[in-house]
Amino acid sequence: MRFQKTFLATILLVCGYAHSQNKQLLYDFGEVPQSLMVNPGTKIDFKWYAGIPMLSGISLQAGSSGISANDIFADDGLDINDKVRDRAIGGMKIKDELSGTYQVELLTGGFQGRNPNNFYSFGIYNEGDAIGYWFKDYAILAFEGNADYLDKRFDLGHLKTRGEMMNVFHFGVNKRMDDGLVLGLRGKLYSSILDFNSTGNRGYFVTTEGQNNLLASTLNADMQLRTSGLNALENAQDEGNLASTIVKRGFFGGNLGVGLDFGFSYNINEQLVVTGSLLDLGFIYHANDVKSYTLNGSATVEGIEIILPSALSDSDRDFWQDFVDEVDALVPFEDNSESYIAFRPTKLYASLRYNFGKPVRSRLDCDCNYSVSSNKGSLKYANGVGAQIYMINRPRGPQTALSAFYHRRFGNIMAAKATYTVDKFSLTNVGLGVSIQAGPVNLYLMADNLLAYQNLAASQYTSFQLGLNIISWGKN
Amino acid sequence: MKSFRTYLIASFVLVFLLSSCMEEQNFDQYEDLRLRPTYEASILYIEAPESAIDAVSSTTFFSRDFNFDAFSESVFAERVRSGVITYEVENTTNREFDPIFVEFLDETENVLYTESFYVPPAPTAVLQREITFGPGGENIDIIRNTSSFRVSATVGADSSTSDLSDPKITLKSSGKFTVALK
Repeated sequence: MRFQKTFLATILLVCGYAHSQNKQLLYDFGEVPQSLMVNPGTKIDFKWYAGIPMLSGISLQAGSSGISANDIFADDGLDINDKVRDRAIGGMKIKDELSGTYQVELLTGGFQGRNPNNFYSFGIYNEGDAIGYWFKDYAILAFEGNADYLDKRFDLGHLKTRGEMMNVFHFGVNKRMDDGLVLGLRGKLYSSILDFNSTGNRGYFVTTEGQNNLLASTLNADMQLRTSGLNALENAQDEGNLASTIVKRGFFGGNLGVGLDFGFSYNINEQLVVTGSLLDLGFIYHANDVKSYTLNGSATVEGIEIILPSALSDSDRDFWQDFVDEVDALVPFEDNSESYIAFRPTKLYASLRYNFGKPVRSRLDCDCNYSVSSNKGSLKYANGVGAQIYMINRPRGPQTALSAFYHRRFGNIMAAKATYTVDKFSLTNVGLGVSIQAGPVNLYLMADNLLAYQNLAASQYTSFQLGLNIISWGKN
Repeated sequence: MKSFRTYLIASFVLVFLLSSCMEEQNFDQYEDLRLRPTYEASILYIEAPESAIDAVSSTTFFSRDFNFDAFSESVFAERVRSGVITYEVENTTNREFDPIFVEFLDETENVLYTESFYVPPAPTAVLQREITFGPGGENIDIIRNTSSFRVSATVGADSSTSDLSDPKITLKSSGKFTVALK
């Protein structure tokens, strides 16, 4: 249990300052093979590619919508207790979130099919994701208590969190249709290493004037925390085989699920492109190593009550134990091992892009060369400008981000993309991504919220993605 | 020349991406963070109707120990720093109570602290009393070591019956305690 508490706390605190996984720089960045992971219908012109294992795709995003480390830990001479009270307890709202994600590609590759219009990609990646909304009323109870809050209902629903770690095995098809349309589909098999979620909590705790005694304390709770994999990892840690247990659970030894990604790119005309994708439409069925906890019921207590003369009929009666048992019966804390289904946080991307400037010569062989094709949208342009939208399904409803972008190709050696993104975390998020092609070696590096790099501690959102691939435009 | 320019731009961008600053932070402040919430709840409620008092021939009509483990639980005892216990005694009977004792007992039933109340017969005002424990008040260790209460009441000789409806004596109590979570 101690391990579980420590683990959950670590997830929330370490990953806690991370941001929902918007990859606006990578999206529709066709020079980078990993763009297929955010839109399986991205326009690409590779013959094949292979990611350098463990290095082909690394992404980490960190942020917070309500507060930054600098708000609390700046060396400004202010009392940290005042800062916590004013900026966290008083300043943050229940929709503020602490969330995070990372991805590491273990293996990735792709190849053109016999039909040159088809491109297949596959791989395995490890992913972790956690989110915790600001548990405001719990924080008030912990920081100030209930003494000055007579009649205030402390909302137990403020505890809303989920997290998971898994390996994802995927295979996708990217198919170039006629008339400027590219469709993409990716099937995913999730192998869950661990999962926890507590998102549907309801109820309250309130202190009111008592009917008999001075005060009445009421707990009305309908709460649940579901976990899978935590016990296995706890035992593995005790036995010294944590790493092998993580690997085992990540390779089909844990819980399994399935999912799909959809995507498309369509040239409305030669220079105007619309794209969209829907990712992680799937679920994981948790039946292995499941441990769930519930607190369900309602009780109002006014201390130990002794009404004479009936209360004294039993001289051995333990009023305290009766009191504890009564509360326990009315609001039982229980655990179970019932299986459950956890849906993945589904993501949606869409963009509109206008290409202009000098057409760039494709690296494809002549029989597939966009520049000599009559197919609409076959030309690659030096410049592209447009807008993107991103949405992710979260426990408190969808979150949205809007981005404006400029994409620039420097011949076939380098491409860059700059974005300006507005979301609940930041209104000044400027990002820049670069893809460099040195022969067959492709290196990409992308970073978000660059203005915040002036003072990282004050940043509420920081992210980067990088990777190394081998790409070929030659014949099979 | 064009390639050189491209690589120059790429180098500039990479340097820009990889450079960052951070204002000075003092994470040692965490040690100064104090979580000192104050919680309050009712403790004990005793109600005795006049008929129950009249039914007892002895002047000490009531004396009983009540187990109360909340204070001595380590999660509370190790963290409590100060507190206030509030009493409220209301008497609508014709009987005088002199005295009512509330004694705080440790595990071996040693008396740690005694609170006594003189309650005249009705009509009389509601008696209210607040006792502070901790800085400026009684020793907080009394609270930490209390594992039961002994309540006893001695009644006066008058045995006339009140003409009020439902005459009774009630003892109400609540506690407000500040605990150090960190």
